[in-house]
Amino acid sequence: MKKIIAMLLVFVMVMGLVACGASEPAATTEAAADTKPAASTEAAAEGDKKYEGVTLTMWSMWNSTEPQGQVIAQAAEAFEAETGAHVDIVWKGRDINQVLSASLEAGEKFDIFEDDYKRIALQYADYTYDLTEMAEAVDYNSFSYPCLNDTVIDWVGYLNSIAEQPQVGGIFYDKAAFEAAGITELPTTWDEFMAACEALKTAGIAPLALDATYADFTFYHHLVHQLGEDRIEELALNGGWDQEPGVAAAAQDIIDFVNAGYLVDGAPDEFPSSQNKIGYGLAAMIVCANYVTAEVNNNTQTEVDWGMMSYPAVDGGAANSATYAGANSLAITKYSENPQAAFDFIMMLTTGEFDQMMADTAKQIPADSRNTAPALQDGTVEVLLNSESPMSWCASLHANSDLKDSIKTLCINLYDGKFATGEEFAGAMQALY
Amino acid sequence: MKKNKSLIFWFMLPTVLSLLIMYVYPVIRTVAMSFFKVESLTASLSKWEFNGIDNYIKIFGSNSFRVSMQNMLLIWIVGGLLTLALAMLFAVILTSGIRGKKFFRAAIYMPNIISAVALATMWVQYIFNFDYGLLNNVVDLLGGEKVKWLGTDMKFWAMTISYVFGSVGYYMLIYISGIEGIPADLYEAATLDGASKATQFTKVTLPLMKGILKTSITFWSINAATFFLWSKMFAPIETEESTIVPVIYLYDIVFGGKGITQRDAGAGAAVGVVLTLIIIVIYGVMNLMLKDTDLEY
Amino acid sequence: MAKYHERINWKKEARLLPGYIIVILWCVFTAVMVFWVFGASLSTSREIFSGKVLEFATGFHWENYIAAWKTQNVSVFFANSLLYATVSCAGVLLISAPSAYVLSRWNFTCSRTIRLGLLISMSVPAIMIIMPLYTLAVQWHLKGRILLIALYILMRVPYTTMYLLDFFSTLSRSYEEAAYLDGCPPAQTFWRIMLPLVQPAVVTVTIFNFLSVWNEFFMALIFTSDETMTPVGVGLLQIVNSMKYTGNYGGMFAAVMIVFLPTFLLYIFLSEKIISGVTGGGVKG
Repeated sequence: MKKIIAMLLVFVMVMGLVACGASEPAATTEAAADTKPAASTEAAAEGDKKYEGVTLTMWSMWNSTEPQGQVIAQAAEAFEAETGAHVDIVWKGRDINQVLSASLEAGEKFDIFEDDYKRIALQYADYTYDLTEMAEAVDYNSFSYPCLNDTVIDWVGYLNSIAEQPQVGGIFYDKAAFEAAGITELPTTWDEFMAACEALKTAGIAPLALDATYADFTFYHHLVHQLGEDRIEELALNGGWDQEPGVAAAAQDIIDFVNAGYLVDGAPDEFPSSQNKIGYGLAAMIVCANYVTAEVNNNTQTEVDWGMMSYPAVDGGAANSATYAGANSLAITKYSENPQAAFDFIMMLTTGEFDQMMADTAKQIPADSRNTAPALQDGTVEVLLNSESPMSWCASLHANSDLKDSIKTLCINLYDGKFATGEEFAGAMQALY
Repeated sequence: MKKNKSLIFWFMLPTVLSLLIMYVYPVIRTVAMSFFKVESLTASLSKWEFNGIDNYIKIFGSNSFRVSMQNMLLIWIVGGLLTLALAMLFAVILTSGIRGKKFFRAAIYMPNIISAVALATMWVQYIFNFDYGLLNNVVDLLGGEKVKWLGTDMKFWAMTISYVFGSVGYYMLIYISGIEGIPADLYEAATLDGASKATQFTKVTLPLMKGILKTSITFWSINAATFFLWSKMFAPIETEESTIVPVIYLYDIVFGGKGITQRDAGAGAAVGVVLTLIIIVIYGVMNLMLKDTDLEY
Repeated sequence: MAKYHERINWKKEARLLPGYIIVILWCVFTAVMVFWVFGASLSTSREIFSGKVLEFATGFHWENYIAAWKTQNVSVFFANSLLYATVSCAGVLLISAPSAYVLSRWNFTCSRTIRLGLLISMSVPAIMIIMPLYTLAVQWHLKGRILLIALYILMRVPYTTMYLLDFFSTLSRSYEEAAYLDGCPPAQTFWRIMLPLVQPAVVTVTIFNFLSVWNEFFMALIFTSDETMTPVGVGLLQIVNSMKYTGNYGGMFAAVMIVFLPTFLLYIFLSEKIISGVTGGGVKG
């Protein structure tokens, strides 16, 4: 027995060595293959390239296997061929926000990084490069979305990030479902919206899909339209939910909506189960940001014909035109040695050919407003261009970061039909304080 | 045998250094940090500001921390009772002379061996799935209405139950070795005295396993206090109220979870110290309550 | 052993029936779960969602494994984990075995303190040490695979030392005396004679170290900052998360199987050894 165990152990160890051995040479040959052609072209064209010998390091929020990652890698290759600057891409993945602060503080060597534009503005501003001049030099505002740039300047005082994947929120719907229900005109008020839901329900399609993750975001739309973001922030920070009649009124609207049976079976569900139901033809609409369209199409391997509309206006609401907008953006570290080269690479990635490629392969809104959005993002570019003061992602509701998880639970419960009246909901919110 | 000073020195040095680097220094620094205002882990010592027990006041005043402690307490008590009772049940069954003991023992212990991430994924993505999950298929078969196992109401229990499933095997092994350590003649004597199986269990098995019970409860407490992975797997992208536990809370405020703009390493350290104190207290209480009376047998 | 040849005593078996039912149900549940996941790893997302996993109407989709292995980077995670597990197993032995030996043989200044320190370290929760270690790593610009390997080695030192210590103390001193008379220097006596004598314990503790490093999650989550050095646990979490955006459920279940299999196979061959190791040696309270 002992011998067998010893042999097995040796086997495991050898396997380990073989596996490591196998992977490492592969990596080195790859690297060699990568560098050689580059080196030879470099040698051939030496002298006439703009950033000869410059190496940029970029920390990406994607994985190399995701479509976004593949486009970035291609852009980096093209950039090297054109300018001679080599771009090293480190794939940090979506958890990049957990390492960025510490790495920036420690002054780690990297030039470009990707994250949510709001985090870049509010958390990393001290370590980011002021892009104002470079942006002006290329007339950046003329081909990007001024509403996003203005928001950044509003937060930081200057432009410190360049939008890479703009996002816009609202109601995304299956055009075929609307057609089947005979809805020809998009609802713009809450009453019209309820009527449209009734028509969908009669046609046998559940009106709204909702995953628990988006419960607060969905209710936030209603609340913002009713009260405006500033008022919500006041309430979130200081309480007083039960004193504000708008809260109970907004909650009551939702309770009526739920009681009318307008939510799809299982909602609020575990992400992404509910949103996928649109792909399976079981539900018609979802309140989300534009990426939901690509996610659903991917997940369910269908081609839903997506449309987008604004969240309906609430009677007597304070901010009925509020629309969510945001972006994953690129920023340059303050201590970067080659900010201009970094900026040029960012421009290459976010305009023209590569931006179009990004929009098409990752099914996103183009960062360059002169490009065209893929079919399933139809209409999003216009909404973004026309938006003046974008609403942030539940920001004022999350103003009290310690309570945000509890508030979210209450929002989920609201859609789960746990409250009989709007006052009850307002009371539960107030009870958190 | 002669003492060989240089041999002792060189053979001990790496281990002593490991202890110092990996445990002594970090523990001291964490405890110290919990009394300072430190925003970022990487902030230099000169930026630390002494603020007494403010960090502790902050975390105990925090809604999220209180919720996370409640969740931890539930895992500790309910999960603990379930796990230890099931483990004891299996241990008794497997030592009752059934066939295939070795196979069953290995099968029940198996979940402890495989990657917990893989195991948790199996539970989240299969057992508890609303549309095609095992539980809802069973519910469907029995004519019931599908249950949202991962909805806000059930998620915590779903997490606890799957965690119990993954842990039972380990405690079962400890109990089996405890039961097998009890001499068979004690049971024979009890049987001769006319004691039933149940009486034998409460009068012979349990008292003789006090030490083992103590060990298992202590282990469980440590695991409950440092509960992290399963919570992360049940709420992988954003922290949720239903599954938050203290270590998740710590992770979020130290490394900046989604939507948290103000990091606070000092408060994180305070959470760590509180959890460690809890473990020490449990350890002390266990030692007092279940004093090893050192029964000779 | 003789028990197996006993004739079946039906009366006795009937009395044990409830016990059989309970453990069999538990095992069936486990088996169903693993088999279903295996089935799902060979199906398409659509089949999974429409509840047709074990029918294989469109054949076996082995390409899920290829997709997981190559495009989802599982090969990288796998190689990383193997590297971490094997190197740290070897490293921790190099540190722990000599100390365990010395501690088992001689009493010297601090030897009691060190023993106590090792014992306490085994139950220090990771959260108490992780923050300063993170600070150190950033300040000293330590990162990448080396950092994780070093952490794993240090993490396993207390357990390994205590485990081996128990076994060294059972060895008779006559070995060393004989070696001493033959003129063998003490250090060589240890490497050549004493260490091979505790080989079974070394094997057991190595299995445990291997499993623990392979399955480690918390440190890996905090200390791996890019995908080239991610081990399987954290890698799988990333796959599960990005699967929600890409919808490749088959590929995700394939990744789960790939992560699940190595330790499972190891366990099938070594379950006796592992189980006896759990309750023997250092873990005993």
